[in-house]
Amino acid sequence: MMEVDARGMRCPIPIIELAKVIRTLNINEEILLLSDDPATSPDVQAWARMTGNVVVEDGQYRFRIRKLSN
Amino acid sequence: MGEGYLPRSHLPSGGGTVRSVVPITAEFQSESALHPAARAALSAIFERGWADPSKIHPESRRTAILLEEAKQTFSTHLGVRSDEIHFLSDVGIGFHLGIAGLVHHSETRFIHSAVDRQEIFAQSHHLALSGHKTEVLPVSSHGQIEVIELDPNSVLAWQLGNGETGIVQKQSPPPSRLFVDATASGTQIPLPDKWQSALWDSRSWFGPSGLAILAISHSSSWRNPLPHLDPRKVSDSFSIPLVLASAIALEHWAKAREENSHRLKAMKNQIIDFVSRNISDVDFASERDEGLAHLLSFSFLYVDAERLTTDLSARGFSVDSGSACTSLNLQPSHVLAAMGKLTHGNIRLYLRTEVTDEALNAFLFALQEVVETQRR
Repeated sequence: MMEVDARGMRCPIPIIELAKVIRTLNINEEILLLSDDPATSPDVQAWARMTGNVVVEDGQYRFRIRKLSN
Repeated sequence: MGEGYLPRSHLPSGGGTVRSVVPITAEFQSESALHPAARAALSAIFERGWADPSKIHPESRRTAILLEEAKQTFSTHLGVRSDEIHFLSDVGIGFHLGIAGLVHHSETRFIHSAVDRQEIFAQSHHLALSGHKTEVLPVSSHGQIEVIELDPNSVLAWQLGNGETGIVQKQSPPPSRLFVDATASGTQIPLPDKWQSALWDSRSWFGPSGLAILAISHSSSWRNPLPHLDPRKVSDSFSIPLVLASAIALEHWAKAREENSHRLKAMKNQIIDFVSRNISDVDFASERDEGLAHLLSFSFLYVDAERLTTDLSARGFSVDSGSACTSLNLQPSHVLAAMGKLTHGNIRLYLRTEVTDEALNAFLFALQEVVETQRR
């Protein structure tokens, strides 16, 4: 699984990095995002809703996201 | 910030930049100047309203009369009896007095919503430490509190309007012992039935800061939670001139209210329409034609709010933000997070009637430009 390690980065960088990498994936592929920024948990959910993707696992600092939209 | 990785931003660049000879500026921050009428009256009030109203000297009696008149003004506009009104020099202590005064037994539950002010979370934490059961009610994506049936002996803190998003609760609070937070809504939203205590902030009608109004219903079983001799009394610790100035500001504000709210609503809708038409990937926390007329909040995906507010400020426009990147504690706005809204790239606008059409248009083009620049 592709991984984005955004630990130590502050909002909105983790979400920007996620969006950058997920572009290279195919539909239904998954990506792991690591982030210790407290804004990432609410923002990854809002990002998924706005872009038509889905967060399959929200571990507060560890997120698994499935690409559903280009 | 690299190029071309923003998935859904296909905006024409540089659209509609306004360059004018005279720089146009506008204030959209929460802090505001005192109402001009109150400002004009303040110095006269400080000369006349200094005496202790509880004494019998002529000066004292005159002060007592002025204070009584001010109470009448608050009574009329806030919809409470004048003997239910107490003045406080600090809004924060008002939350404690209003809530803790209703909590009498160790079994009393305290319930509030996820979009309440930090002071209410602090109160809840304080009560939990002393053994009370506390509960936070979640909100919908529209910021409406998900109401459950409560034990009517529970103490419920109920926010009339949200100070970040302007969202107003459409439903009535469930039967409970009710503390009403009217600090953001001022006189825009009437008190619900069967309130027991309620709190206002003088700043919500452009009155002076450092003054809160706490109403305690005459039918409430409220008891002063601070050390006291008389449990029904709130100790007076307020500046009389500020009370009088606030009453003057409230009267002027109320007189112009209808006209002002018409103008503010039009501004709010204009901003929402412009932003949704011209900027992509925006998460609106406030909706068209809804909520407090002077307040709105929205977030731009992939945008750094600190840079956004700095760039706008350099162009003469000051705005607030609920994003973590602009605060010291790294925590994003708990209000936006509770609604599931995007917390980064957020700006919060407090609208004022003094902002001209020209300034508003200039602001909107500047906003579009700084967002596009960051996303490029």
